[in-house]
Amino acid sequence: MNNKYKILLVEDEAHISTFITALLEANGYRVICAESCAEASAMYTSHVPDLVILDLGLPDADGTVFLRSIRQQDLTPVIVLSARSDEREKVAALDLGANDYVTKPFGSDELLARIRSALRGYRHSAPEGHLPGGKFTVGEMTIDYDARRLHIGGSEIKLTQTEYNILALLSEHCGKVMTYAAIIKEIWHETPDDGSIKKLQVNMANIRKKLGERPGDNRYIVNELGVGYRMKSEE
Amino acid sequence: MTKRTVRNLLLTLGVLALSEASGLLLMNVFDIPALITTVFVFAVFVISLLTDGYTYGIAAAFISIFTINYTFTNPYYGFDFTVPANILSAVIMLVISLSTSTLTTKLKQWQSLRAESEKERMRANLLRAVSHDLRTPLTTIYGASSAILDNYETLRDEQKIKLITGIKEDAQWLTRMVENLLSVTRIDSGMVKIRKTPTVLDELIDAVIVKFRKRYPDAPLEICIPDSLVVIPMDAMLMEQVLINMLENAVQHAEGFTKLSLQVKIAGDFAIFTIADNGCGIPKERLANIFTEYYDRQTHTDNTHGFSGIGLSVCATIVKAHGGAITAENALGGGAVFRFTLKTEDASDE
Repeated sequence: MNNKYKILLVEDEAHISTFITALLEANGYRVICAESCAEASAMYTSHVPDLVILDLGLPDADGTVFLRSIRQQDLTPVIVLSARSDEREKVAALDLGANDYVTKPFGSDELLARIRSALRGYRHSAPEGHLPGGKFTVGEMTIDYDARRLHIGGSEIKLTQTEYNILALLSEHCGKVMTYAAIIKEIWHETPDDGSIKKLQVNMANIRKKLGERPGDNRYIVNELGVGYRMKSEE
Repeated sequence: MTKRTVRNLLLTLGVLALSEASGLLLMNVFDIPALITTVFVFAVFVISLLTDGYTYGIAAAFISIFTINYTFTNPYYGFDFTVPANILSAVIMLVISLSTSTLTTKLKQWQSLRAESEKERMRANLLRAVSHDLRTPLTTIYGASSAILDNYETLRDEQKIKLITGIKEDAQWLTRMVENLLSVTRIDSGMVKIRKTPTVLDELIDAVIVKFRKRYPDAPLEICIPDSLVVIPMDAMLMEQVLINMLENAVQHAEGFTKLSLQVKIAGDFAIFTIADNGCGIPKERLANIFTEYYDRQTHTDNTHGFSGIGLSVCATIVKAHGGAITAENALGGGAVFRFTLKTEDASDE
């Protein structure tokens, strides 16, 4: 089969690399492995993968170096493998353009879900992150970009301008974690500070309420504590 | 100038001024110069005792010598250092100042040394307890995986699945243990200060429920939080761990529970978190030091994953590092109630 997704796995720990490869192949993906930034760059150019799984601690250079070089060329989804100890590391990787992160240690279902989500989201998004128009649908929720309207299960939900803009932004990047800083920059064109974070928190609280989301039971927007928000790409 | 320096200076000057005043008074009433010297010797002693280091005591001694010489000895309001008695009292005062300062400095060093060694003891206990607890899951993982490898052909499929499930579960337990350890060492080492960021309560609770549900899909859990937007300054990752540890503690140790609730109430400047179950409650003898027993237990039993131990002590460490208070008690109707408070406003920006 040639229509299998190709995944570039950049990981220097042999055991981790082995189990991820086995897991991905068992689930129908083709896997290319690299153990360093340099090798990863070469593999990336020659194989043109559909998705990259990137460990940040590599022997020759920080994984973010490779991430940066990918993002200068294209939007191939990148999932970062990170150590738990610091959410700043995650935020930094996301702000550099990573689509998602998985915290080590992780289970197979977790990684597979993130991969599916990133691949699906990739098909939604356009280069500038702005869809020309049309509709976005997840579960019972439909966003009509032309009319700037939101429907859930057939009935319209009234949103303020800002609330709509945030929701549209998340949907344009669905499947991808948007950091607080990234959202604030897009919506208010401000550098994030306490005031703008507060504004975002208030707006998000209202959006959640209007979407009928309840703690522990989010159907559309996942909250990544201390990092940002993600619109689900599947229910 | 630091607060400390100001305090030391004020103390020195204050005590000296007081001695001068009482000296003048005594001179008028009794007219015994020896009494004056005694007053100043006492002043130098007090200053050396209450200030930091040697500087203030010695300075006070010199000032006292000059003051006595100037104000209280013949010739009055003039200096005369030729009288042997004056020089002798000056020397005595210096010696007193030096020895008192040495003594207090040593005392302070000894006290900080003792606090340090207490910390060291806690750390050693923690290390011992953890190493011990790590052995059980490692035995499973090592044993089960080598059993599968060595007997791959002869083991039946369901046996293999059972062994692998054991490996998975114990690895997950290890993961949680490591998360807890990372949090404690992060706080205890004092290297990383707690970074408080304004966190929306709804989002915190949401993250907690999602994680908890993943581990215990069937456990009952009731949530009761305010409808309004509540923002609390905290290290969200650490606080998430506190709540998960507490819920997990209930699931694992509240035998026979059918209800588990997580409630948050706002009272004035405080958010009060209450985690309650209707299980077997906490044995009376453990209630007093339930948050520290993990460090202090002398005997280690092999029978359980002593998770509650480190889980709850981690909770206490994190809550205290946030400036909050944590308590455990038994409810009147049965079951355990854990409660902790956090400030909703971050007044002190330390």
